[in-house]
Amino acid sequence: MPAPSENLAAPPRMHDRRLRVRGTSITLLRQVQEQAEADLGFRVDYELLDFPTCQRRAAMEPQGYDVYEQCFHNLDIVWFWGALQPIDIRRITQWDNISDLAKQGGISKYAWRGLGDAPVRKLYVQPGGFLGPKPSRQISMLPTVLNMDSFGYDPLIFGAGDAVRSSWAWLLDARAKGRIALVDEPAIGFFDAALAAEASGELEFADMGNMTIAEINALMALLEDRRRQGYFCGAWVDGDQAARLFLDCGVAAQSMWSPVYGKIGPQPGAFVEAAPTEGYRAWHGGASLSRHLVGAELDMAYEYLNWWLSGYAGAVMARQGYYISTPDLSRPHMTVPEWAYWYDGAPTAQDLYGPAGELVVRAGARRSGGTYHERAGRIAIWNTVMDEYNYAARAWDRFIRRIHDAQLTKDGAA
Amino acid sequence: MIRSTNPFAKEPRYELVARVLRSNIQRGTLPEGLVLLEGPISRLMQTSRVPVQAALRQLMTEGLVHRFDGRGYLVGPDGLSIAAIRKDIAEFKLEISDAVDDALQTRGTWRHVYEQVEEEVASCQIFGEFRIVETELSDYLGVSRTVARDVLARLQERGLIRKSASSHWIAGPLTARTLREKYELRSIIEPAALRMAAPFIRYSEVEHLLELIDSDATLTSESLSDALMECCIAHAPNTTLVELVRSNMLLLSSVNRALTSLGLPHDEATLDQYRTLFDLIAKHPIDSAVEYLRDHIQISAARNLARMKIVAVISESGDFAPYLVPQ
Repeated sequence: MPAPSENLAAPPRMHDRRLRVRGTSITLLRQVQEQAEADLGFRVDYELLDFPTCQRRAAMEPQGYDVYEQCFHNLDIVWFWGALQPIDIRRITQWDNISDLAKQGGISKYAWRGLGDAPVRKLYVQPGGFLGPKPSRQISMLPTVLNMDSFGYDPLIFGAGDAVRSSWAWLLDARAKGRIALVDEPAIGFFDAALAAEASGELEFADMGNMTIAEINALMALLEDRRRQGYFCGAWVDGDQAARLFLDCGVAAQSMWSPVYGKIGPQPGAFVEAAPTEGYRAWHGGASLSRHLVGAELDMAYEYLNWWLSGYAGAVMARQGYYISTPDLSRPHMTVPEWAYWYDGAPTAQDLYGPAGELVVRAGARRSGGTYHERAGRIAIWNTVMDEYNYAARAWDRFIRRIHDAQLTKDGAA
Repeated sequence: MIRSTNPFAKEPRYELVARVLRSNIQRGTLPEGLVLLEGPISRLMQTSRVPVQAALRQLMTEGLVHRFDGRGYLVGPDGLSIAAIRKDIAEFKLEISDAVDDALQTRGTWRHVYEQVEEEVASCQIFGEFRIVETELSDYLGVSRTVARDVLARLQERGLIRKSASSHWIAGPLTARTLREKYELRSIIEPAALRMAAPFIRYSEVEHLLELIDSDATLTSESLSDALMECCIAHAPNTTLVELVRSNMLLLSSVNRALTSLGLPHDEATLDQYRTLFDLIAKHPIDSAVEYLRDHIQISAARNLARMKIVAVISESGDFAPYLVPQ
């Protein structure tokens, strides 16, 4: 049989309807993908990348994906590379049901907004192609999943029980020396370190959400000093690495993402999620449209975006400890105990399971920090890409490289 | 400034080298299959290797030379399996026109190497702080220490480098604060200069610019920024102020070129703003143009701060010119 030639007319066949989604481990879950394909009737291909790679490739190779699932703070990079197109909110059927936390900036009119890149500050497309909080018909990213992050700690060192008042300062605490780890992402871990430095009283920032060069230098000098003293045992980029640091290296205090508590298994009391007195470091995820989408492909992308808010995906997110921008639509997709534990902060009477059916919460446990409203009302800062991000990110990368190099030397010597 | 009458005087050096090689290949002086090596060519043309590399790459895109399994390039188009001839290029009687020869010889000044160095120095700064080693710079460029010093003096004038306490030349790091301060200064001095210049602006020149914006698709925001300076602001009778405006812009335009050369997207949205601005200058009381200019500068500042963030995506290749030493 002759090799197919470009000159031959294509045989008549059904067009392969396929949507390509580029994103991170936050949202690219098999359970979401399979249900989306079943409900929407087209293929959904996932390309799962770590944060920095995802961001770089989304900015520089917009032809490689149709929908980009990432966080709002990341828009300062990808939007200004010109990789995305605005989303028309008239085509978002559940727009009115999206929470005020995303659309107004706070859980209520009177709640503290948090420093840095609150999603509303990057949500609406403003004149001149800028992003800002003033409502318009076009948005940069459809708000979906979110959480308020903190860190985990070893109660044998810092104390157990409800009376313990945890503080970000513990990430620089001498009691945990040699057993501290940070998340390696300059728009995330950088602020865990900044919160720790301010909480411990060692540094003060005029605006932590937009630091000056001098403040960045001071923070990096402080971290480097602690690193030389051997405070840090590692840094991680995804949940699996974070879990390994706990299971294999016995970290006593480290940045944490909610699903990691599930990954280390239900070990009641072994590693406690902090509800820091200073407040949380929050983030808001979402989905954006690639610049190249038009016609039928654009329609498919809108179908997928609307599906994301319709309930099922939000329930899957809840099982790994994340909230959704349309909680009322997701509630019917959760069991009563699931809703009570994850959203209402009530003690659970039964074991709870994660997205893949793994046991993540034992009966009797209560979510740290209380209800969704309590947690969302205590946001100290959002993950942020500051004005001096380029400078801070490169300084941060050098710091992390030195942590890893020191670990390698240590492992080599052992 | 003394302007040369030589038509090639302003051509980059690599263009001159390419011009000589091209005409000699086309004339048959350099036969098909001859191996062209950077070293002998740079000796023959009395230049450094950098422009020779660029010239050979240029000729390759033109299909006049091609890469092969050995070092250097072969004369002739690719794909003909031409046998390699290894001979010193000095053995062939290369024809070099007097004008090109003159242009090559008079390039002993800092001008012919300046642009390349400026781009390298401006782009490295987004990655952090660098020390510039003067001897390495003169070796790298194949120029004397005096010429290297002229280049450094010019970079200092542009605000791209500074002397450290220990008298080392230091570049970077380029920060958002540097840019913000430059733009703040722009929004103070440029509207003031435009107001002073108003009685001296020739409206026919501005109207000509307006016609150009609508008819010439190749106009860039950079050339319109230059036009605003030369046709409008430069007419302000306060020469000190005009000089201040010019020198404040130097760093910004170098940075802009460097970011674009690193692959950052062009900013084309400003063309409309220039149209409005020139329209206001030509047809309305100057107050409205002054206000608009202030707005325009603030918008440019926001755009450029956004650009400063997105360069974080560009990973450091570690491939800096040898005279740049990371600190």
